[in-house]
Amino acid sequence: MLLPWEYGVRNLARRPVRTALTMMALATVVMLVFVVVGFIRGLEQSLTASGDQNVVLVYSVNSEENIENSSIPARTPSLLTASVEGTVKRFGLSHASPELYAGTRVESENNEGGLGLVRGVTLAAPLVRRSVQLIDGAWPSDGEVMVGRLAAAKLGSREDELAIGKSIEFEGRSWNISGRFAAGGAAYESEIWCRLSDFQTVSKRQDISLVALLLAPGSSPAEVELFCKERTDLELRAIAETEYYATLQQHYKPVRLLAWLVVVLVSSAGIFAGLNMMYGAVAGRVREIATLQAIGYRRCAILISLIQEGVLLSAAGSLVSGVIALTVLNGMAVRFTMGAFTLRIDGVAILIGCSVGLLLGVVGALPPALKALRAEVAASLKAV
Amino acid sequence: MKVFSSIALAVLTLASVGCQSKDSSSSTANTSQSTSSFLVESEPTGAMPVGEARAKSEDGQEVTLVGLIGGSSKPFVEGLAAFTIVDPKVPYCADDEGCPTPWDYCCQTEAVKENIATIKLVDETGKPVASSARDLLKVKELSTVVVKGKAKRDEQGNLTIAANQVFVRPGK
Repeated sequence: MLLPWEYGVRNLARRPVRTALTMMALATVVMLVFVVVGFIRGLEQSLTASGDQNVVLVYSVNSEENIENSSIPARTPSLLTASVEGTVKRFGLSHASPELYAGTRVESENNEGGLGLVRGVTLAAPLVRRSVQLIDGAWPSDGEVMVGRLAAAKLGSREDELAIGKSIEFEGRSWNISGRFAAGGAAYESEIWCRLSDFQTVSKRQDISLVALLLAPGSSPAEVELFCKERTDLELRAIAETEYYATLQQHYKPVRLLAWLVVVLVSSAGIFAGLNMMYGAVAGRVREIATLQAIGYRRCAILISLIQEGVLLSAAGSLVSGVIALTVLNGMAVRFTMGAFTLRIDGVAILIGCSVGLLLGVVGALPPALKALRAEVAASLKAV
Repeated sequence: MKVFSSIALAVLTLASVGCQSKDSSSSTANTSQSTSSFLVESEPTGAMPVGEARAKSEDGQEVTLVGLIGGSSKPFVEGLAAFTIVDPKVPYCADDEGCPTPWDYCCQTEAVKENIATIKLVDETGKPVASSARDLLKVKELSTVVVKGKAKRDEQGNLTIAANQVFVRPGK
């Protein structure tokens, strides 16, 4: 015969302070798990969303994997569109976006500034970068920039410092903010976009960093890659955008592994904290447990009741953490080397966080409960 | 509703299985045909090194040249039967130097510029075969190949061979 459900619930209410403290400890552990898993999921999502399977990036073969180091002649886009058949062309306009991409110090009006990512683009950019949406303001004209949704996080500035109408300074020139854009969580969201010609002028460069080509359905990135191999004099390389970001994913693999290790360590620490709390809780109830055995309840039933208490506590802690994670942590911007991304508390994060929480409840309650049940009933009844 | 869903699922499964088997069979046929038509048993005679071919060959000329697959960290074009080869006289990092990608000739970048050619295996229409040369020819980086085909030259001195015969020298 099992102990009544209410017995476990009422037991929790009998020691409200201890219960509240235990629940807070469990909730904190689960919250830490949410933060780390949210970080991993946000990073992965940012790199996944950044790649368009129909887009090919063409940049310098000498820059290895880093587009910031790439420098190719400004005539490359016309050369590519004339030589490679697969590029989308509508109304006589080839969907090839020449871009100059650089990391540079960006200062806002009231901030010393930080390292920002600036991309000089033409009107062809939104034709190729199809996830980019102007969410406020206007496309930049001469001396203007538009800022990504996460540009402020990347710069370490407040959101209002990058509001439309404000100005920022980089490469020795002041730029007015004309608009804000989003890109569905892609890496561009932490960038600042201006006109290519303006950026070339202020940075005293005539070259570009890369060309992004939108391929027509049925075309393959391999055709562009073959062109680059054939024109060895141009020293170009082509890579599908999805592959480029997959390479970055590989680059950040140690970070992700480290983050998963943190999840394991935090969970282990949480289990030990839970064990400690539950040992304390059960130690004070030795006589009660012995009495239950004396009046006929089986050890198994008492064990289930103790686990029920632990699980109820951890479930409540997980619930509290889940609500806070979804309302406060989800979407919080995090600055990172490649730009910025948002913490992502999605289904996977909730599942992992709550599973860890429930595991804490079960594993934390088991050893002290087993220890208490192993003791002699007669001796336990006399325990002080 | 449940019955309808089950029937629909069964039809979809059968359709997808049918499609898969058709695709895979045609792909296999294509690959085996291509393999037999490009790979030759005996080495074509009169092969010249890539550097010499760059100096002497003209656009449209039938040439035979020999070289090692390499020239960059990724000499193969994934998805097309094409790759780059480098003149055998250009040295690459020795095994004991511990270079993970000796085929990129990282210590000889200047020499590679004048001693590299692009090879593409083409079909009857002159288009590159849509299959990786690595699988088609069973070759890898630094394999020595002798290729025969038509040279394509441009004003910048680049050399591309539309190859129809490939001999893979045994060894590395």
